[in-house]
Amino acid sequence: MKDEAGGNQRRARFQALCQSLRPDLLRFAFWLSRDRALAEDVVQESMLRAWKAQDTLLDESAAKPWLLTIIRREYARTFERKRFPTVSVDELIAQEEPMLAAVEEPDLADVRAAIMKLPDDYREPLVLQVLMGYSTAEIARELDLSGPAVLTRLHRARRQLRVACGEDTTLDPQE
Amino acid sequence: MMDHEQYRAAVLADPHSTDAELRAHRESCTVCREFTERLLKFESRLERALRVDMLPKAAVLPFERKPRNAVRAPRRWMAIAASVLLGVAVAGGIWLTLPQQSLAADVVAHMAGEPQAWQGTEAVPDSELDNVLKDSKLRLKPDAGVVSYASSCSFRGHRVPHLVVQTPSGPVTVMVLVHESVRKPMQFDDEGYRGTIVPVPGHGSIAVLMRDLKVSGGEIERIAARVDDSIVWTR
Repeated sequence: MKDEAGGNQRRARFQALCQSLRPDLLRFAFWLSRDRALAEDVVQESMLRAWKAQDTLLDESAAKPWLLTIIRREYARTFERKRFPTVSVDELIAQEEPMLAAVEEPDLADVRAAIMKLPDDYREPLVLQVLMGYSTAEIARELDLSGPAVLTRLHRARRQLRVACGEDTTLDPQE
Repeated sequence: MMDHEQYRAAVLADPHSTDAELRAHRESCTVCREFTERLLKFESRLERALRVDMLPKAAVLPFERKPRNAVRAPRRWMAIAASVLLGVAVAGGIWLTLPQQSLAADVVAHMAGEPQAWQGTEAVPDSELDNVLKDSKLRLKPDAGVVSYASSCSFRGHRVPHLVVQTPSGPVTVMVLVHESVRKPMQFDDEGYRGTIVPVPGHGSIAVLMRDLKVSGGEIERIAARVDDSIVWTR
């Protein structure tokens, strides 16, 4: 009886934690996959894995990076399990148009399209830094890269985005 | 000594870096300062662009296995079931948010009782800020923005930090409510304030308010996310 109550309490607590982080987890999975339906599947599977492995989460304040790591692994597993048809980036952008359109802020649609076109190697560290607030060292640890490699990717990602969005890049450093 | 190329390469990689050498270069070079200002404007656009609207299409519990790609090929019966579920979730949501609404009302009432909080724009001394934050076991990152008001206030039986932070969108009042948990972000307009209360897993919630009703709900949410990101919990 006592065990059951404890289990319910634990479940409710874990569920509340996941629900509060869910929008950010979905955003991360979306920018990783560039496909909303796939992102929802990946997050759903990741939460099941997280539930089963919750004893490994020792500090609740570290839940977000812990879940993001699970999502990255789950996303990689998705490709091991299933071969997805090759789709051009323009098709992906058209498919996700309702999400990429920003009715309240029309100046965001072109930035979103440019982010969709970034190579995975540039997009992922950028999302971790800008959206998830990771430091360079944290990104390096998560992606198993050196600090300078992370900085180079972030620098190139911003440069490509700014060029794509018509920003003045005449003062940008040459590589 | 850092040159212009090195400076620009570094800020392109991390526009919010607080590195002392970068700051020193920026202060001594007008062109690089203007470059940084343009970059930060773009960075704000980038941040907003990444924050796509990801409200779940239906309330799905994390432990209930959803068939893969169900969203891709919804069947009619699933759509009906989802709409029923959504209806239940919305009805339940309204009932469950009632206590949160009273929390919002209490937050607004507290703000209205301290109008002097909005008056200053100069940073409060670090020692004063540290005193206010230490009991809540937190500190702010150096790039959190200028904190122009800091007070340890009594709120619902607890001492809570009440801050005013100067942001590019204007002054923002922040209350760190470690004793108040909310289930999900809740936006509200009341008494000329627009605000949101967002959950902080393991640390209660944060209330963020502005006195500008022209600011969109999305902008308030983004400001709240930035405030949340700028907090370092020390326990």
